[in-house]
Amino acid sequence: MMNSMSNVEFLKALMTQSFKLVETDVIDQYQVSFVLKQDDVHQALITLKNAGWIQMSYLSAIDWPDENKIELVYILMNWERPVHIQIRTKVDRNDPVMPSIINIYPGAKYYERECYEFFGVKFPGNPDYEKQLILEVWDDMPPLRKDFDPKAYSDKKFTKREYKEDYLVLSEQNNKKEKREERKTRAESLKGGQKI
Amino acid sequence: MKQMKLFLGPQHPGMHGNASVHLYVDGDIIKKSFLLPGMLHRGFEKGMERHTWINNISLIPRVCVVEPDINEMAFAMGTEKLLGIEVPERSHWIRMIILELARLSIHLMAYGGLGGPTGNYTLMYHAHADRNSILDIFEQITGHRVYHQYIVPGGVRKDLPKGIEKDIHAFLDSLEKRYEEYRDLGIENPSIVARIKDTIMLPEAVVWELGVTGIGMRSAVGKPYDLRKVMPYARYDQVEFEVPTSIYSDARSRIDCKLKEIIQSISIIRQCLAKMPEGPVRIPLGRGQSMRWTVPKGYVYSPVESSRGEFGYYMVSNGGTNPWRVGVRGASYPQGLLGVEKYLPGTRLDDAALWIDTMGVCSPEIDR
Repeated sequence: MMNSMSNVEFLKALMTQSFKLVETDVIDQYQVSFVLKQDDVHQALITLKNAGWIQMSYLSAIDWPDENKIELVYILMNWERPVHIQIRTKVDRNDPVMPSIINIYPGAKYYERECYEFFGVKFPGNPDYEKQLILEVWDDMPPLRKDFDPKAYSDKKFTKREYKEDYLVLSEQNNKKEKREERKTRAESLKGGQKI
Repeated sequence: MKQMKLFLGPQHPGMHGNASVHLYVDGDIIKKSFLLPGMLHRGFEKGMERHTWINNISLIPRVCVVEPDINEMAFAMGTEKLLGIEVPERSHWIRMIILELARLSIHLMAYGGLGGPTGNYTLMYHAHADRNSILDIFEQITGHRVYHQYIVPGGVRKDLPKGIEKDIHAFLDSLEKRYEEYRDLGIENPSIVARIKDTIMLPEAVVWELGVTGIGMRSAVGKPYDLRKVMPYARYDQVEFEVPTSIYSDARSRIDCKLKEIIQSISIIRQCLAKMPEGPVRIPLGRGQSMRWTVPKGYVYSPVESSRGEFGYYMVSNGGTNPWRVGVRGASYPQGLLGVEKYLPGTRLDDAALWIDTMGVCSPEIDR
């Protein structure tokens, strides 16, 4: 394949001249990340798609409750110039809305549905984003947000199960000496039975 | 004729895993279809945030049931990237042996799985018997048959046992000998060829639209787009292997590529065993504390070439003892969800199981 470092340099030059980057990070020779403002994301994705990054590998979100933001991440891949690009942007956590990218990358359709289900990010432009996908009849906050507590949810949702005490070992009545002897002889008699 | 609704799976010989395909059929032509995931959702991504980095090693192999080792590799590589460490040389080679043995095992299982939808169970029994030999080797190396928890951040758990090379070579020789037999049983068998030839087409445009990777992509595009080649990890740049491709992606050519990969994997394992240096296999990461070590802040995407395509972990650390977020990019996500919805309608009912089988749709990595 071609010289990979030049691919990263090429990408940095391409992105710097077209957009106002919040942050750029070169992770290694095969991976680079750009942090953009929310309004620039679509234009950046179109630019990168035209430059050859025609595969969208992954779309997801990260919850940052302290900053009151949800960070969206798009990962793109070009097999001719092998570099994975992370495009990240932060949206407001109270009302997260990000216009859909299915017109640029049709494969994003189900990733967006999943992202709505697990983070509550709305994707106007995607006709099905509100349909349920994995979680059936979910009635709580989106579960991958940091303030969702699975333990509290399960306590609220399901009745506490009561367990019976182990009869043989824990019951005081059964732990008496003669009972123990009885069990022992019974066990031995069974052993004898097996020999025949 | 009236449209009828049918369910393919979760209880069906052609369905691998707990997912169901809802089909609306007219006669035997599919008019509308979609996948219903969610039967296997166990909250992995949430669970990983609640465990420490090293604890997660026991959780992540469960993300993909039949092919657990790629999960460990992606997670370990991502953690090492965040930590900025390099693992010992010997552990790279051991990792490659494990990954290629796992690739053989899943290819055999997938090829045997072809026996389900096409009704040739002999193939399935033969393939599973050979897979069992691989599980025996895994048991000797790692102590476990399916979920190995062997590749960990910092190297591999322990060195290879003495004399395992002999067993691996013996197995590879026997598999190589049976390779032609496998071809005769499966893709050279006229009764199966009639089912798989020219069915379930995947044109190149569709590949890029969906984002299909792995054998699906390579069999349509005809170029060696394999992560082991284009961005080599471990020591894949130091072994010689070819990436089988084709430019006509029907079910048969995809299975053909899969079988050719078996030969390549055998060759890679032999090269690894020959080239592997001596030395340590693991470096300790916990400075003072064995479990609660921290990982510097950062965002990293760590991809691995699985038997079904690009499989990656997106890992975010905020500098704590637990991962802040781990996202799993399942290799069969695009073809399993969007592919079934968009490109299954128009095909015949009995080809639906072939789509699921030859595209390698794995339901646990959709419900993670």
